Amino acid sequence: MSAAIALHNVSAAYQRPVLIDIDLEVGNEVVAVVGRSGTGKTTLLRIIAGLVQPTSGTVDLLGVAPAVARRRKRIGFVAQDARLHPWRTVRENVTLPLEVNRSARTNGHVSPDEWVARMGLTDAIDSYPHQLSGGMRQRVALARSLVIDPEVLLMDEPLASLDELTREDLRDELLRLWESRTRSVVYVTHDIEEAVLLADRVVVIGGTRPARIRGEVPISLARPRTKREPRFYDLVQEVREHLE
Amino acid sequence: MTARRTLTDLGVALLAIAAIAVVLEVWSRAFQVPSYLLPAPSAVAARMATDAGLLAREGGITLSEAAAGFVIGTSVAFALATVMAWSRPFERTLFPLAILVKLTPIVAVAPLFTLWFGFGTAPKVAIAALITFFPMLVNSFVGLRSADLQEVAFLETLGASGREIFRHLRVPSALPYLFSGARISLNLALIGAVIGEWTGADRGLGRVIFVANANLDLTILFGAVLVLAAIGIAANALVGAAERRVLHWHPIAVAT
Repeated sequence: MSAAIALHNVSAAYQRPVLIDIDLEVGNEVVAVVGRSGTGKTTLLRIIAGLVQPTSGTVDLLGVAPAVARRRKRIGFVAQDARLHPWRTVRENVTLPLEVNRSARTNGHVSPDEWVARMGLTDAIDSYPHQLSGGMRQRVALARSLVIDPEVLLMDEPLASLDELTREDLRDELLRLWESRTRSVVYVTHDIEEAVLLADRVVVIGGTRPARIRGEVPISLARPRTKREPRFYDLVQEVREHLE
Repeated sequence: MTARRTLTDLGVALLAIAAIAVVLEVWSRAFQVPSYLLPAPSAVAARMATDAGLLAREGGITLSEAAAGFVIGTSVAFALATVMAWSRPFERTLFPLAILVKLTPIVAVAPLFTLWFGFGTAPKVAIAALITFFPMLVNSFVGLRSADLQEVAFLETLGASGREIFRHLRVPSALPYLFSGARISLNLALIGAVIGEWTGADRGLGRVIFVANANLDLTILFGAVLVLAAIGIAANALVGAAERRVLHWHPIAVAT
């Protein structure tokens, strides 16, 4: 089977080169992209989503160009510290993706209310974002990205602005979601331990600018994973060595 | 809740005006200030009661001119701001023109408008529209550009069209700016209408003030100014109430 996401020789630049020679294939798996702040992790996600054009190389998403995949509504996107639409209630935020680009296929199976329920937000369904905690807002952001049932899920440090306990809860939530339906997930984070806890594979990008792929670590630990597992810190150390 | 807020706002404003009136009353009686320099508030009040019909009628005319100018000026401003937010070349072309309009002294062009549009309602509405245009243009433009970039990206990954992003994200994001623009423009529209009446009219509060000025008839002059102030305060309170209702999700509304 061909990979859902395939990048070949991709380079990107804004004013100066940001990324160079990126080769990355993602099948039905969770790939964590780890790198220091400002190395171009977000740019990589934007290239995959077709929001940024690479200066060279090719990007394939589900066998087509990213722009086509976008128009077909195949991409879920979760940003760090999602501000949502503050004038919409939780329910209205989750239904928003169904209201735009209506000509494209939308979700068949799970209703917006059901997504809200799965995220444990039923009691807050008529609340506005300013009435929610940061963790609840990220849950809404997850729900609204999943309501179109995307094959590809792009996540840009979705837990970075949350406190540790909330992060643990949401990590479990993410694992449950990924187990219930296989998708191609690209999960960008600067937190190595989080990457090892969540991903099937950790890809390290870095180096002096422009950044390139420095290495890759397969994570074969059985799920659910904990930090108490004997090999956990070995893997963390392995990722770290690629970073340095 | 919002109705009570509006009433409280009005009450505070009236209280402040009453306090100033008391000070002026005492002042004019203690020093026997002649009424052609500064009329006692009691004399102004008496004159307002006598000429209540006139003030209400002329006030209504000024209000309708200002309202028409406000609607036209702010609508055109919002439409142009939309075009400017849409395309950089338009922004570069239109913004200097807008500044030109802004910097043209209204008092200088008011007589010209009378020449162009005659002595009727049209030149007053035109001046009110012109004077409300710029603050609304700037606020609309900044507001439409203020949309959260992460949210723009989110909608783009869903294949949302530019029009959908405009409707679902840019316009609601601009609302707080539109309201502050409206608050500024509203008062300016009243001033614009009065300036228009001042330079050539047979009706309206501006005309009343102009004639009173020529005759040193200060009681009716102050009466007209007070009616104008009352209209302005009421209009502001109305916009404030609408703002609190529409922007209930916004920190401004939550905080106040």
